[in-house]
Amino acid sequence: MTELAIGTKDLTKTYDTIRAVSGIDLNVPKGGIYGFLGRNGAGKTTTIKMLLGLARPTAGSIQVLGMDASSDLLGILQRTAFVSEKKTLYPSLTPSDLVRFSRGFYPTWSGSAVEKYARLFEIPMKQRFEKLSNGNQTKVWLLLALCQGADLLVLDEPTSALDPVSLDQLMRVLAEDTLDRGCTIFFSSHQLEEVERIAEYVGVIDGGNLLIEARLDDIKSEFRLIIAAGNSLPAETSAQVLSVDVQDGFYRYVVTKDADGFAAGLSRSGATVTSIAPLSLREIFLHLVRKEQPCTSGNAGATRVLSSSLS
Amino acid sequence: MYIWKCWRDTRSFFIAFLVVAAGAMPFIGLTSRGSNMVRDVGMTAVSGTFGLITMIVALGLGAIGATHEFAEQATHFLFTQPRSRQYFVWAGWSVGGIELAIIAAVGLLASWATLAVYGIRPFSAPLLGSIQERNIVAMFLYSFFVYALTYSLTAVLRSGLKGLGASLGTLTALSAFAVLMRVRWNMRLPTPVEKIGGLPLAASYVVWMSIALLFVYGAQVAMERAEI
Repeated sequence: MTELAIGTKDLTKTYDTIRAVSGIDLNVPKGGIYGFLGRNGAGKTTTIKMLLGLARPTAGSIQVLGMDASSDLLGILQRTAFVSEKKTLYPSLTPSDLVRFSRGFYPTWSGSAVEKYARLFEIPMKQRFEKLSNGNQTKVWLLLALCQGADLLVLDEPTSALDPVSLDQLMRVLAEDTLDRGCTIFFSSHQLEEVERIAEYVGVIDGGNLLIEARLDDIKSEFRLIIAAGNSLPAETSAQVLSVDVQDGFYRYVVTKDADGFAAGLSRSGATVTSIAPLSLREIFLHLVRKEQPCTSGNAGATRVLSSSLS
Repeated sequence: MYIWKCWRDTRSFFIAFLVVAAGAMPFIGLTSRGSNMVRDVGMTAVSGTFGLITMIVALGLGAIGATHEFAEQATHFLFTQPRSRQYFVWAGWSVGGIELAIIAAVGLLASWATLAVYGIRPFSAPLLGSIQERNIVAMFLYSFFVYALTYSLTAVLRSGLKGLGASLGTLTALSAFAVLMRVRWNMRLPTPVEKIGGLPLAASYVVWMSIALLFVYGAQVAMERAEI
């Protein structure tokens, strides 16, 4: 069994009548990069807040690095670095001041990493935080996180406001530097191409429900777009068929597993299967979270829960 | 390092009022020297100035200190550092409390030193008389009480202005209520930091200071329960 950096069981968070997170079971393996995806308001940030003690779960349990979040939060925080979705910090402090402030909390703090990443990200270390551009403010958060020598990086939208060059640098740092020393990275992002580039595992949350959680390679090898032409072909979704569109007599099926078997079934029904194509993470994500009916309360009920076991 | 940051947040205010206390109190003392008003009136000019300065400092430090920590939207960062929220609340409060005590002490010492040099009878200078009459002690404890209240309310309300307003409102309401009780029902309610019933004055001070610490404890509990 894979050792987990983060494990949640039936994790739930409700705010009054709104169910922000609905009984999710996260399984984030140690030593890998896990991309946590979802639309705005899907429950990503709420989940992350619960992992780090910024919000209390309504129900369920959380284990981080083998420690229970309800009883050993400080132990978790000692070994976990965090980049918040809100990139605000003390406005009057400079990045140098913030480094001075942070380093005392972490015995594993690396001064050489500060120099390295400050140079790499071109952070003006003597300028007050409030005077920095949004991109540079994000970089300061990343600098503080990367220098802690943490075993787990929890990054909530770490790429927001970064220019393409900085984004590329960050992806390299995450994929090379941090993984080399056995660090686990759990990050949420809307940059699906970047997630696809570096993530080993992916979880998709929508309406507080974890729709899918698996190795990215497995997802990409299983999900297929099948285009077929024929009469009276099935137009219903199922556990295997994520979505069906009919355009100009062509049926476009997105299937989650056994695409060849499904295509063979269509052929047996008299259909002409014109193509079986792999999907990008972006396309898979869009099909997963696409709404089939108007929402009346948050996102709840608009998506289906698929199997969510890590292979 | 956290203590350093708390100091950094409040140092401008602290230094400004340190200078004011070290300058204004001796000046007031000197200008009042020789006028019988100083000794005859219970609250001397020096101790009056002392009360005013420490009160302003208490309100200012209470609001500024807690604002920087809990109202600048940096709580995501602060509360994911590996220290308890209890530590952050009490450490921040302690820094401001020490600064308040230093300003009070420096103001008093500067006044005493100035009057000792320039006064005709240095050791019976008005300032010493004030201390003996316990005005200074009571005023310092009152400012300490106000500081704890303002800090706690600012932390809980996560806003310097709201905390300051709520603190002033609470103090005003307490005094108004005590006056109302006395005038309307002839009941004497103690206001901070007055003598409480039959308790000795020192014991009353202990009770009032315990209440002040309870405010901070309340802020701690609120912070520990807060979802960010």
